[in-house]
Amino acid sequence: MGKMEKIVGKIPIALWEVLSEKLIDVILNSSNAEQLPSGLAKTILFYWQRDQLASEAGLQKLLEASIKIEPEKTIALMNELGLGEVIATIVESMKT
Amino acid sequence: MLNVHPTTLLFFNAKGEWKFLVNFGIEFVPRELYWKTTYYAIQAEKAGFDYLWITDHFNNRNVYVSLAIISAYTDKIKFGPGVTNPYTAHPVLTAQAVASLYETAPDRVVCGIGFGDKTTLTILNINQTKPLSTIRECVKIIREIVSCKSVEFKGEIFKVSGAKLNFRVRGHIPIFVGAQGPKMLALAAEIGDGVLINASHPKDIENALRFIKNGIEKAGKKFEDLEVTAYTSFSVARDGKKAVKAVIPVVAYIVAGSPEVVLQAHGIDMETANKIREAIVHENLKEAFSLVTPEMVEAFSISGTPDECIEKIRRLVKLGVSQVVIGSPVGPNIRKSIQLVKEEIMPHFKEIEAS
Repeated sequence: MGKMEKIVGKIPIALWEVLSEKLIDVILNSSNAEQLPSGLAKTILFYWQRDQLASEAGLQKLLEASIKIEPEKTIALMNELGLGEVIATIVESMKT
Repeated sequence: MLNVHPTTLLFFNAKGEWKFLVNFGIEFVPRELYWKTTYYAIQAEKAGFDYLWITDHFNNRNVYVSLAIISAYTDKIKFGPGVTNPYTAHPVLTAQAVASLYETAPDRVVCGIGFGDKTTLTILNINQTKPLSTIRECVKIIREIVSCKSVEFKGEIFKVSGAKLNFRVRGHIPIFVGAQGPKMLALAAEIGDGVLINASHPKDIENALRFIKNGIEKAGKKFEDLEVTAYTSFSVARDGKKAVKAVIPVVAYIVAGSPEVVLQAHGIDMETANKIREAIVHENLKEAFSLVTPEMVEAFSISGTPDECIEKIRRLVKLGVSQVVIGSPVGPNIRKSIQLVKEEIMPHFKEIEAS
């Protein structure tokens, strides 16, 4: 199982929509946006075009992008949504 | 009696109120990373915008590269350069670019042509010589090239000897001409499929329509044959002050690039306008933006809360425009502002689609 798959697997489905919205804001407003790999950006656009950013696969890509360019904000967002137990997995994913 | 464009339908909504149906366009400046602009383009398509315009300035990302990516991620929205100019891009190259785009998005490509932004062209030491002849010839050449003809052209400005594309455009690419001054407006109406009126204020639109009607008469066209577009600088937010703050840089550039006659019509102090122009040319942007006055914002933008913007758009539609372009900056937060336009502004003008 991939890292992002593991993280999303721990997030209740009821929160996917709101998390997706908030992650998009983090990514679009990031001052590190230039660090987002083009391939990952294009995958996010692919899912956005198909209204799939709140799906399991879409959320995995948003999380991957957000962790890459805004790790601290991503962790803060998880805390805000009461997803404390996911943070350890995120931190772990950042180490490897 | 309202002077409403014949294709701007009036209809009753469920509450029995008169509503207008108007096309909505949106403009993006490719200053942002390509994937951000594309994200907003996809959002605009989902929101129900009819047209998407990308500006063309040498110092931003390339307009056609931006449009090609947008083409790949959208399915319905019409798009094109808004606007390119014949001083930095030869008409044959513009024709080649829009023809190539057409292959990626049949029946969705439009071409906006104007005589360029004075401030940017000054940096390149390019003089906007003979703008009327240049635009007239440019449009003629583009039309012929995209019609897959071999073009022999000896104009006052351009000379082309047997230029022809090696591929076919299997449809029509409407050409919209950007205009602000009286003669250019008349020419735009005469030779264009659409006119992009570079204005946000009803007074300017009303004046523009007089000259547009002259051009229509000269060409023997009908008013409804022309897409009359108010190309506004626009900024909406729940907090009206934030919306205004976001539009100030755009207004500074408009003031810097506007003809004297346009500035004077709004009572804009020429000395301040010249200071803004100088500051922009010397890249003292902070100074330029600090010189923008509330009168300039009122004259050259639609900005404020959704309700304030609705009222300002309503005044333009009543005058007879058939497309309103939500131009840069769109708002302090583009994503949220597109959402506001979709949810709170468009339904007032697109009741049929919204219901």
